[in-house]
Amino acid sequence: MYGVACVGKGAAPPRLMHARPGNAISSRAQTVSLKWAAMQVESTDVVIVGGGAAGCYAALELHRRGVKTTIVCKGLIGKSGASIFAGNLVLSGRALGNSEEQARNTAEFLIKYHNQFLIDQNWARGCAQWIEKVYYPELEEAGLYLRRDNHGNVVTSPGKVRGVAANLQGNSGVPFMDLRRKQVLRAGIPRLEETVVTALLRRPDESVCGVFALNLVTGEYRVVLARAVILATGYSDRLHARSTGTREMSGDGIAMAWRVGATLANLEMQWWHTNDIADPPSWQRMQVYPNPMLGSEKSARMVNAEGEEFFNQQQDDPLAYGPYTVQLKALARQVHAGKARYDGGYYAGFDYCDAREVEAYTTYGKAFRQLGLDFPKAMVECAVTAHYRQGGIDVDTRTMRSSVPGLYVAGGLGGHSNGLIGLASYDGKVVAEGVAGELAQLDTSALPDAEVRQETLRLEALRTTRRDGVAVAQVKDKLRAIMWEKVGVEKSEASLNSALEDIVRIRLDLLPRMRLASTGRVMNYEWLDAIDVTNMVDACELIVLSSLERKESRGPFIRSDFPLQDNVDWLAANLMIRTGNGHRFAKRPYQTPFFQPNFDRKPNLAVSW
Amino acid sequence: MVSERVPAGEARHLGQRERFDTLAARNALFAVGDVITVRVRRADGALAAFRVPYRKRMRVLDALISIAENEAPDLAFRWFCGSKMCGTCAVRMNGREVLACWEAVEPEMTIEPLRNLPVVRDLVVDRAPFDRKVEALEPWLERPAPYPGFPEPLTHTTMKGASKALDCIGCMCCYSACPVIGLGDLTDFAGPAPLVQLGQTALDPRNDPGKVARSLARTGIFNCVSCYKCEEVCPAAIPIVTQVIEPLKAKAALLVPGMAKHAQALRAVVAERGIVDPTALVLRVRGLKAMREWLRALRLLVRGKIDPIKTLFRRNTPARAAAARLLRKDRS
Repeated sequence: MYGVACVGKGAAPPRLMHARPGNAISSRAQTVSLKWAAMQVESTDVVIVGGGAAGCYAALELHRRGVKTTIVCKGLIGKSGASIFAGNLVLSGRALGNSEEQARNTAEFLIKYHNQFLIDQNWARGCAQWIEKVYYPELEEAGLYLRRDNHGNVVTSPGKVRGVAANLQGNSGVPFMDLRRKQVLRAGIPRLEETVVTALLRRPDESVCGVFALNLVTGEYRVVLARAVILATGYSDRLHARSTGTREMSGDGIAMAWRVGATLANLEMQWWHTNDIADPPSWQRMQVYPNPMLGSEKSARMVNAEGEEFFNQQQDDPLAYGPYTVQLKALARQVHAGKARYDGGYYAGFDYCDAREVEAYTTYGKAFRQLGLDFPKAMVECAVTAHYRQGGIDVDTRTMRSSVPGLYVAGGLGGHSNGLIGLASYDGKVVAEGVAGELAQLDTSALPDAEVRQETLRLEALRTTRRDGVAVAQVKDKLRAIMWEKVGVEKSEASLNSALEDIVRIRLDLLPRMRLASTGRVMNYEWLDAIDVTNMVDACELIVLSSLERKESRGPFIRSDFPLQDNVDWLAANLMIRTGNGHRFAKRPYQTPFFQPNFDRKPNLAVSW
Repeated sequence: MVSERVPAGEARHLGQRERFDTLAARNALFAVGDVITVRVRRADGALAAFRVPYRKRMRVLDALISIAENEAPDLAFRWFCGSKMCGTCAVRMNGREVLACWEAVEPEMTIEPLRNLPVVRDLVVDRAPFDRKVEALEPWLERPAPYPGFPEPLTHTTMKGASKALDCIGCMCCYSACPVIGLGDLTDFAGPAPLVQLGQTALDPRNDPGKVARSLARTGIFNCVSCYKCEEVCPAAIPIVTQVIEPLKAKAALLVPGMAKHAQALRAVVAERGIVDPTALVLRVRGLKAMREWLRALRLLVRGKIDPIKTLFRRNTPARAAAARLLRKDRS
């Protein structure tokens, strides 16, 4: 059934130690003995890469429409990736008694503070309407517990923009994604977990027709052929020394999509958390949440090294529901005054609140207590952490189709908006409709032998070649240090060019010399690291190039050599387009039908958002 | 003897406090640069020893990452979030189950994989048996009536039990610590973690009682011996026995009475006699089948475990009235 064609006989076949069938999840999977290896090949209508809010919702929507899907997840569906971190659920439109003004505030927050106008406002409008009319009812009907008080009122955070929580504020993503995981189980959607997609496969006409994957648990390869591929690998990654992404996030989506020729947008628009706990190192995404608190008029406050308060969301900027940019700019001013550092020396906490008030509906006290700190009196040292990336793969927001036929994108990986669990879910809905609508024009492909063989050889070489080289972890650390020091909060042409030189050196000098301690196949995380770091190098280079191209400062994107926010020249998507011999950049201006920035050029640090 | 009143939910930490082993104490044990000795159970079954320099506020996960980055790059351990949300980094540290990202390091640590699940490699266990159990319990909502629209009428008072269970991150610490699960196939007990997962919807007033009954019937819940090992290790501090398993048992007794035969017989015997009378208990639970097991009965008789004479002729004990009163009170 699958074209098991004869392939290049010249190359030596890699040694496969345990080439045997893996645990078949789809009944359609079958073992194909290729000349160079045995692997499981299966075919479905749509393969979804990623098991977060966007991937799960897309799978459930397609399943409802009778489209066969398979989810391939690098971690565990609903447990890895960024969606579990959702602390709050923002109320949009007139939901739960929102006033007309609050509805407008939410939209303004989303467009201004959350995307700095780099967003299709019509898409945002559709999204807000869907969240109000469909999303909340769907989640609650399925069983999500939106926190009530003892009298039956849904508890909200008060203020200009309101939010609710699933069970507990700070932990909403956990029951939310647990629900999605169970919906996927209940629907019987085939899933390959702890299975990393390492390459997108293409037909001879260069359209995408499936994925090549490695089952991390067994060390076996797996090919899933499909009429369409949805990439939903998330907004964030661990490319910087401090990052909010989960362990497995390494910019795979960006790197793989670029390799097949997808256009990228606004990759430089990196967001930052300023409120993550500085120590221990593994807690780099443990937040002192800055958002409005459920059932209280207060929010966390931040103080500099001298104990002077420099940020308190509910007092300083009530419209900034997710105040990350406002906070970052406040910190930048402290850093410039020598009263804080980006990697520490400032503090956050709830020292002016009552513990019962904070903990009535939140998880906020737990981290303090676990560190042995006196909650709420003690403040905890914080440091900046790389968070969302507003940009990503450029998509048509009506269908979520990328510039490559057969390749669709949903969630934070898309270049059309910053992440949020509601927006990612909406993407899942739009992409499901988009793919279902275009499925008739997409065919299943025969096995692209040459591509499969090439990818097998690449991964085998990474695993088995033992050179007198560097450990993979060192390469990762080095790359992350470069990104932190030269592509951090404040950057310039000089620092970016220097980063580019360093990255090229890593690519040419270190990548080919990586050495693995073990050539085992089972749960070989070092092998995975070697695969990841290759993607990371590509993603980092693309990010640096995009950062050099945007010659302004905007929101969290701070160029010390271009301090002005420039709405004349740069209210535009910064598109990176793959060409035959490299790449070129293009600009696509954003329409501003509902909200407009009310100035042409202004120092970015003087703009609140 | 602890004379002060123990705040709710703190009982589990009493022992720690007496041993001066509180979190605050452990967080303050070290200075940056101190060396920690870590022994890790590797795939070959042997313990490999490593020395790790202490870093500020170090967690067990930081120690494992440090080992993997500097000494044993092939050390296999699973983690995703590093902030007590994904629940995938649980291990045993010095014999007790901990979430690696949440637990402070100790000067000497032996790190082993969780029990009661197959080990894939080093510290990584196979989660599939747990996943299968959870899936078999169908822990989802089936509404007896159509969804009334957003927001539906619901109070936290009625959602309290489910709300506690919703803190579960599926880390499997309790599953590893459970002695009944440790018995393997001797019982059909689903185990604490799958029960907490079930509790999220089975204790939800919106769920259809018939659906809940079908799920509960598959749990073997009355095999739970209420030893509280699960509660002791839960990193999310869920009162697993008191607020999840006990309420589920009560539901099972009501909805699937056949499951609770032993528990209900015990209750009836105590109500009737004021004491646990083993003979009466055996007769009530086993019925006439007990007659066929006369050899066993003889053995029990010889050892003084049962006393039919007492059972037949001494029904009235002074404790009878008190027991009846207490049980009535409990039921109300």
